[in-house]
Amino acid sequence: MPASRFTQTGNYRTRYAQDQTIFATYAEQLSLIVLIGLLLLLPLILPKTMLRDVNMIMIYAVAVIGLNITTGYTGLINIGQAAFMGVGAYATALAATRLNLPFFLAIPIGGIAGALVGTFVGLPSLRLKYLYLAVATLAFQIIFEWGVGHTPLLAQGGAISLPPVQVFGVKATFFNHNFVWYYLILPVLVVMGLLWRNVLRTKHGRSLIAVRDNDRAAAAMGINPGTAKIMAFMIGSFYAGIAGGLFAYFQKAVVIEDYGLHISIQLLAMAIVGGLGSLPGSFLGPLFIVTLDRLVGNGSQWLGAQNLFPAGVDVATALRPLSFGLAIVLFLMFEPRGLANWWRLSRLYFKKWPYKF
Amino acid sequence: MKKTLILSALVSLSFAAAQKTVTLPWSGAITGPTSDAGASYAAGVEDYCKYANAQKMLPGVTLNCVTRDDQYNNANTQRNFEDFVGNLNAPVFLGYATGGALQLKSVIQETKIPTLTASYHIGIIDAPDNTYTFLPVSSYSENIVALLEYIAKKERGAKVALIVNPSPFGRDPVVDARKAADRLGLKITDVQEVGGNNLDNTALLKRLESQGAKYIINQNTAGPVANILKDAKRLGLLGKMQFMGAHYTGGEDLTKLAGDAAKDFIWATSYYLYDEGNQPGIQLVKKIGAQYKRGGDTIRSVHYTSGMLAAAIAIEAMKRAGNNPDAAGVYKGLISMNGSKSFNPGFAVGPVTFSAKDHIGAESLRLLQADATGNFKPITGAQRSALFQLVHPMK
Repeated sequence: MPASRFTQTGNYRTRYAQDQTIFATYAEQLSLIVLIGLLLLLPLILPKTMLRDVNMIMIYAVAVIGLNITTGYTGLINIGQAAFMGVGAYATALAATRLNLPFFLAIPIGGIAGALVGTFVGLPSLRLKYLYLAVATLAFQIIFEWGVGHTPLLAQGGAISLPPVQVFGVKATFFNHNFVWYYLILPVLVVMGLLWRNVLRTKHGRSLIAVRDNDRAAAAMGINPGTAKIMAFMIGSFYAGIAGGLFAYFQKAVVIEDYGLHISIQLLAMAIVGGLGSLPGSFLGPLFIVTLDRLVGNGSQWLGAQNLFPAGVDVATALRPLSFGLAIVLFLMFEPRGLANWWRLSRLYFKKWPYKF
Repeated sequence: MKKTLILSALVSLSFAAAQKTVTLPWSGAITGPTSDAGASYAAGVEDYCKYANAQKMLPGVTLNCVTRDDQYNNANTQRNFEDFVGNLNAPVFLGYATGGALQLKSVIQETKIPTLTASYHIGIIDAPDNTYTFLPVSSYSENIVALLEYIAKKERGAKVALIVNPSPFGRDPVVDARKAADRLGLKITDVQEVGGNNLDNTALLKRLESQGAKYIINQNTAGPVANILKDAKRLGLLGKMQFMGAHYTGGEDLTKLAGDAAKDFIWATSYYLYDEGNQPGIQLVKKIGAQYKRGGDTIRSVHYTSGMLAAAIAIEAMKRAGNNPDAAGVYKGLISMNGSKSFNPGFAVGPVTFSAKDHIGAESLRLLQADATGNFKPITGAQRSALFQLVHPMK
């Protein structure tokens, strides 16, 4: 173990048990507690519309953790994460409106529905790899959109409104909606993050990484790659289902357009930009993409108002997908490990600063 | 001299203090999907709002004209709505997309903010949560039922195919269309979904041809319809099949994209068109467009006129609300628009009428047909679909 449990300048671990601790030092533990404390205070200082963006970031972060489980940690390319979110959202909406379940039961039902469908969709992963699997998940995305659009129970992809929630006697209304939901989404995100961090410490979590790195070698070590892959899809889509349930309540109604292919691509971009196979990256990716989207959205509206371009040439429309695509390409070229690597380097720097050796 | 200056300053100050600022907000797709229509619609809202300020239409009130891009993204629409209503105290909301409007229904009901949208999806004003939502003109469903009535008059028992957008916007009129076709003795042979990525429609058109479908009704946007028309021309089907469509399928946008393949296309809409310069509403559109230096394409677009109508209805409702237009006043102003108090700014082919039960504004529509030059000429007068009320009774 390190000389001090408060600071650490190198790897002093001598046993596997030490290697599996969540926090290497008390300082790390403390910093997380301080961060959560600060996050609890955030709604008091942020404007309402910015709080909405933070809520969106947190919901996407739950979905991106799930995507990281399948794609980042297990190496199974998934272009249908928004559809899994959609499964969760519609299941939550049905549970809330048809079964009249409260939100704290309806959202887990969304997660379970996502996991069940994810397990089924994951079956092709037993036979398919790489691009072929990517196309299989893409097919699910398309089937999902078509299926919802033709199902009367799901309003043919129209809107299913969700009832307002009440927590500890406080009813969510238009004026406190973002505030109430911030305090509902944040604990879910923290719990889901910690849950995954803990799963990673188990043999099941490590088996996923082993399958990603080399499934034949993993099989030689006694891991069943098929089980691991199905499990990855099950857990990843459970996370997506929970995110979908949260999103359904947060948006107050479920509409198919919120779970389209473009959202799947956006989630994949968040995972890549954040850093595939990284828990901090699952938070940093959504933060980066939502902020970029907001900035470019404002920028494109400003550009459009300047009349700089000839009529019929809508540069403003192109700016958003351009910046979005550019961000992904630049990250893939120059920082394939994503923002999580910058986070890692920053932490390394401060481990040695000032004058430690 | 000094006294006069002080006096005039005081008068100006008191005048400024007496002026209230009220936000007239619009949220829609200035960029992103459907921005071809959204950008012109936004320009119409913005210009009419500025014009209303310049004309001092609302005594004692200065309008804060805000048009914001939501990129056709429902989450952005909600964000804009929250900002407009929560922070800017807007007494009315002008929306755009079908999905966004459907998603906002319960929030609109809760906040009691009267809302007009650019989507004419009948589900927006269907129960529940429909007290404060209004359609400026007749719905897509009514457009399509009127087209079916036209077909039935021409050829009883004709075979009709529907091509709709794969979205709530596209699918919703299908149920009403089926009911109407049954009553009219028409046969709906097929309902196909076509999105904006329809680069080759050969298989689709051959399929419809093999079914003997003579009339093809589109509920879509102009882009996909233009591609279908161009492919129909290439396959020599234009004379054999009669292509038709609801509001967002036609107009300048269609003829620009489809060229001469748009010839004979029959279009249902409630709006007057740019070429009808004898209409007072179109004269006003041209005047305002020139005043605010809009390009020719924008002014010619029917969506520019649509944006003006939505803004005009909201401003008229504010006017009827009096000196202090709040949401309740605007709602009362809107539902007072009927009988002798109906509102007719001249942008649509009939007056705007609303009541507590009637949430469709300009209920009249016309069928127009594109000529060889790509201009749409009316082939019917202003009318209502006789059957629509029967197949979709409003609650």
